[in-house]
Amino acid sequence: MALNPKFTFDGNTYRHYMNGVMSVLHCHHYMSLTTKMAEDYESIGGVRILIESAEDAVRPLFDKYCAENGVSDPVARLQVGAEFYPVMGLGLMQFQGSEPGGDVTLTRSHVDAGWQKKWGNTDHAVNHFTCGYIAAMFAAAFNKPARSYDVVENASLAKGDPQSRFAVTLK
Amino acid sequence: MTVQRDVVVKQLAELNITGNEEGLIPGYNVLVNQLPAQFWNNVAERMMAAAPADKKEEVEAALVNAAYECGYHTGYGIINSDEFKSAVTPMVTEGAKDVLRGAYAVFTAWGWAKSGIVQIKEGERMVIRAMDYYESDGAPGEKRAFMIRGVSKAFMELAYSAPYPEGMNTFDCEQTQGLECGDKYGEFVVTKK
Repeated sequence: MALNPKFTFDGNTYRHYMNGVMSVLHCHHYMSLTTKMAEDYESIGGVRILIESAEDAVRPLFDKYCAENGVSDPVARLQVGAEFYPVMGLGLMQFQGSEPGGDVTLTRSHVDAGWQKKWGNTDHAVNHFTCGYIAAMFAAAFNKPARSYDVVENASLAKGDPQSRFAVTLK
Repeated sequence: MTVQRDVVVKQLAELNITGNEEGLIPGYNVLVNQLPAQFWNNVAERMMAAAPADKKEEVEAALVNAAYECGYHTGYGIINSDEFKSAVTPMVTEGAKDVLRGAYAVFTAWGWAKSGIVQIKEGERMVIRAMDYYESDGAPGEKRAFMIRGVSKAFMELAYSAPYPEGMNTFDCEQTQGLECGDKYGEFVVTKK
């Protein structure tokens, strides 16, 4: 399947849209500091908030794209998520999965590379954004509601591992 | 001639920004991402909602700071980029003031806010107005344009404080009006500390 990303710019509001979903450009500093802030405020559930914010923000894009392009096969729907990942500048993603769960690997990652550029290697996995992104991918693929999948990052480029790896499990 | 925002926006917004063979978007001396704007709004809104009363000010400051550091480093990358030199520099006739106008044109082109400088006292004070900005989306409520606040003080520092990277923490920015609280526009006042 070849993804068909479409970018439009509204000349009146000056807003960007990616396949009809409003989008915005930011940089690795913003992502890294937002990630760090979520960790610093773990006492109020910062990391969970970040993960769920990502899941809820990307899910409409996957659902809209699949509906408008007639993508109904679950694996093809997962592929939509994997192919949007580099389009957004987030890195390179491979996956295998079915309804009960699966595995996702990253060989390049905006979140991890950004963290390393800013602070060097870390001693813990930091790609919370992608945990939410993957949860949305699987939930969209198998027509599940939000929070249906647990995603755990068990290898991390930012830690110096050769790949980031995520285990996905249906709750 | 001075910097004409709409001309710059048109040139830059039409660039097709997408990941390279590594799925990354290097540019302006940073790694760029293009995400649904709702992600950033979700984080800000939910962090503020989760913070207990005695932590709200601190969380708000952290949200502003994330954008501030982004604005300072990315802003420097922007005003020294080939894209800026090509689209903006030919229109710069009023020194730092025009560089700032150009920076806000890029700010607008990136989808942060349809914004511009309405008043400036060089090196001292600047007023920004935004007629549309994604941070105002959602339910009406309190002023919440934390990103615009952070980036605006960063841009002022790049224009008027010590040369990069020594000029940080010399300006503040307050939001005085907000679409999200029923005003006609968002207004942001940057002042020297």
